[in-house]
Amino acid sequence: MKSVPKLIRRFVGWLLLSVVLLAMVNVLILFAVVSGQKANAGPWAAAKTVAEALTETENGCVLSDEGAAVLDSAGAWAILIDNDTKSVVWSSENLPDSVPQTYTLSDIAGLTRGYINGYPAFPAGTQSGLVVLGFPKTSYWKHMWPSWDYQLIAHAPQIALIAVGANLLVILLIYAVANIKVLRSIRPITNGIRKLPSGEPVFVRETGLLSEIAHHINATSEVLQMQKRQLQKRETARANWIAGVSHDIRTPLSMVVGYAGQLQSASGLTEEERHKVDIILKQSGRIRDLVSDLNLASKLEYNMQPVRCRQENAVALVRQAAADFVNADPDGKYPIEWKTREDLGVCMVSADRDLLKRAVSNLLQNSAAHNENGCTIWVSVEEKGESCVICVEDNGIGASDEQIRALNTAPHYMVCDEAVAGQRHGLGLLLVKQIADSHHGEVLIGHSRCGGFAVTITLPVI
Amino acid sequence: MDLSYLKNKRILIVDDEQELLDLVVSVFRNDGYQNIATAKSVREATALAKEFRPELAVLDVMLPDGNGFGLMEQLRKTGDYPVLFLTARGEEEDKFRGFGLGADDYMVKPFLPRELLYRVAAILRRTYREEKTLVPLKNSVIDFARAEVVRDGEHIPLTAKEHALLSALWRGAGRIVTIDALCEAAWGDNPFGYENSLMAHICRIREKIEANPSQPVSLVTVKGLGYKLLVEDK
Repeated sequence: MKSVPKLIRRFVGWLLLSVVLLAMVNVLILFAVVSGQKANAGPWAAAKTVAEALTETENGCVLSDEGAAVLDSAGAWAILIDNDTKSVVWSSENLPDSVPQTYTLSDIAGLTRGYINGYPAFPAGTQSGLVVLGFPKTSYWKHMWPSWDYQLIAHAPQIALIAVGANLLVILLIYAVANIKVLRSIRPITNGIRKLPSGEPVFVRETGLLSEIAHHINATSEVLQMQKRQLQKRETARANWIAGVSHDIRTPLSMVVGYAGQLQSASGLTEEERHKVDIILKQSGRIRDLVSDLNLASKLEYNMQPVRCRQENAVALVRQAAADFVNADPDGKYPIEWKTREDLGVCMVSADRDLLKRAVSNLLQNSAAHNENGCTIWVSVEEKGESCVICVEDNGIGASDEQIRALNTAPHYMVCDEAVAGQRHGLGLLLVKQIADSHHGEVLIGHSRCGGFAVTITLPVI
Repeated sequence: MDLSYLKNKRILIVDDEQELLDLVVSVFRNDGYQNIATAKSVREATALAKEFRPELAVLDVMLPDGNGFGLMEQLRKTGDYPVLFLTARGEEEDKFRGFGLGADDYMVKPFLPRELLYRVAAILRRTYREEKTLVPLKNSVIDFARAEVVRDGEHIPLTAKEHALLSALWRGAGRIVTIDALCEAAWGDNPFGYENSLMAHICRIREKIEANPSQPVSLVTVKGLGYKLLVEDK
């Protein structure tokens, strides 16, 4: 199915779009969160404020109210380490006991990066020493070794891009692998679905992710095959029934025709008796033709009639049908005028000789059947581009526009699945249409130039 | 042409329907055929054929103890005579099978008695030719055996092509034989493009058989379709 790759492409597109959108949303959220804060400004600024708020007096150091307020709000304590003695010369009232009173240079370097007994420490310098604020133990986390390889920082953009690219690649690979598996499961399913309308039996292995769908396809195929078999069985039965009836009717009809034929040539019949015999013979002939047409039409309809196409010269074939018709018309009531161009001796078509001849004969018989008082029939074969056009027309009674339209468009009662009232025209034209169909040709029924009936059969030339 | 000698030929008719047998027998008898035997089954027919030694068999296909195709094969073992199938089975496969086995003709029921007689006569005429085959025309006589035309006591020889064309016309005497069929008879299976040659040959034939070739009475043209040979006793 062509839609499957399209579907997969669409899924991949959606995936890529989702990844890009997700990344953008994350960047936006990060930006929003970060912009709302000042990076680590809080404790350092508080330490600086307290350092500035601490003034030296004769009675020692005094913290202003503003400084005290900062400490209160943060829940922090503060000490001042003297530059010279490295010992605490001032401290806030809430100083925990565990905080040492003297410091070495190493201690001071350590507390600048880290903690004093677990309290995050933030120093700020004054003229006389170093003010250190100690915040509650769970208020801040400090990075003890804040240093990176210079090259890492210098190539950070490239590294970030590579990381993002690698991530995308990994996501795509995972998606592709997952899709290939799904595709492998889908392919037999889609193949099965594609085959279903063709009427062929379908079997899809019922394994993998989509085994349930495969099972349903197999079940559907079985149902379709069963329906097809039933339909074929019914059509074959119908065609066989018609063939059987037409076979069984031939022998009794032979006797009717045979004895009537003998009576016709017997002497001693009155004119009226002879007329009756003629009628019996004529109507017997009609029954014979009807049975024969019905049988062939039924077989063509149900594809039971073999169509053995060979290269045939349509001119010779139509001419033979015309000659046979004239030979069977000793009274000359239906003279044929051959209107094919003299220089057209050959027009090759792919045709079943007997069937195509039957179609032309049917058209000639049709003209005779509808014009009891006789008529002239024009027969022509013409090569028009890629088509061979066989035309049979007469100057008989013809048909009304309504009848012509119905003959061209309305299905014959034999092949019609609707109400059949008013469609009781003979089988002759149906046969002609069926034969043309089986030769990939078409039939057009219309008026002749002389107001009679005209039928053209158009076949592809080879 | 006198075909009375054909009426003495022995004809075997096989059909399982007694009424149809009666009909066919009466058709033949009314036309002058004298030696007719009938059978209603394969067994009866094979037994009868040994005694009767038919010269033509008219067989039905569907018989109670077998079929006409098998019967034909059995009959052919006892004698090589022509067979015509007269059956209700009109399917192409059946016709092909019959002709494939060597049948001389195949007629589908219902049939016109006269058509049956014509076909039988044609088979008998082809099979049992008289030494001298003369076809009388209005102003001449064709002698196919000698390949010549006799007109006013003069013997005019026929060429091979003229003989082939006249033979084809004679087989369909009284009927239109199409241009294509004549070309095929004279030039074989690929007869396209010989229409002008055909016209030339027809002119030469007319010069031989007609008293006035420009106004032919025996070999007439049916415009566009073909030619018709009119024989005196047909």
